[in-house]
Amino acid sequence: MATKILSVDDSRTIRLIVGKAFRPYDVTILEASNGEEGLGVAAREKPDLIILDVTMPVMDGVTMLGKLKEDPALKAIPVIMLTAESGRENVLQIARLGVRDYLVKPFKEEQLIEKAGRCVTLEKRPVAAPA
Amino acid sequence: MSQTIQTSSICEFMNRHLVDVFETMLSMKATAVAGAGVPNLEERVTGCVAFAGEHINGAVYLHLGAPFATQVAAAMLGLEPADLGEAEVNDVVGEATNMLTGGLKSWLCDSGAECAVSTPAIIRGSAFVIEPVPDVEREWLVFQCDQNRIVVEIHVKVG
Repeated sequence: MATKILSVDDSRTIRLIVGKAFRPYDVTILEASNGEEGLGVAAREKPDLIILDVTMPVMDGVTMLGKLKEDPALKAIPVIMLTAESGRENVLQIARLGVRDYLVKPFKEEQLIEKAGRCVTLEKRPVAAPA
Repeated sequence: MSQTIQTSSICEFMNRHLVDVFETMLSMKATAVAGAGVPNLEERVTGCVAFAGEHINGAVYLHLGAPFATQVAAAMLGLEPADLGEAEVNDVVGEATNMLTGGLKSWLCDSGAECAVSTPAIIRGSAFVIEPVPDVEREWLVFQCDQNRIVVEIHVKVG
């Protein structure tokens, strides 16, 4: 069964970039545009990994992470936080939240794959045989 | 605030940061053009993100010519330019402006000037000028990226 990765970001651009990064791998990408939607998708789909933006409308990433950690059924799902802010305080705050890892925008797709690969098994999609 | 933020320091940071954003997200080499002055802006897509804090506030505008904005969006999303509509291009320019201003916010916070940033907004067209309000300094930063110009306009008020 394909690895399920949930991308939670209010920017469609970032969700598309995340999808593009994992295209060569046997991964199903799930999407949500804020923390509230993200919690719903996480509860329904039980993803293997969540890639979570910090600053979002409706419910931000920090709040969503707190709710994930309070839920016995979801708290073990590893989370990689994505943030546009690399300031010392911001990074320290994220580290205290119990995330598996974090990535500062701008980021290279290879960095995302490397960090995700430390959390879940990523297998290359089989190459289709020529007709 | 531990030190006074100089507009020239903000420009120096942004000169480095824009090059980093374009290299990292787009594999595009942008080079700062020193002394370019006020650029002649054609039909363009402009991203805007404001920042505001107790000691500093302002806004960052990223101006890209419309065809180049489509090229940037295609590079960022890994799609063909012909497959992109205005909405996708707007979203990418907004996200690029967000990354630029997010980096500036981090740098300002580490320099003792805490601030928050807005969500991105997009302006499209050619016959518009963004005027700073009184007491706000305006700086133009111009970059060359192959045959294309990238213009960053920074409005800032310190204190």
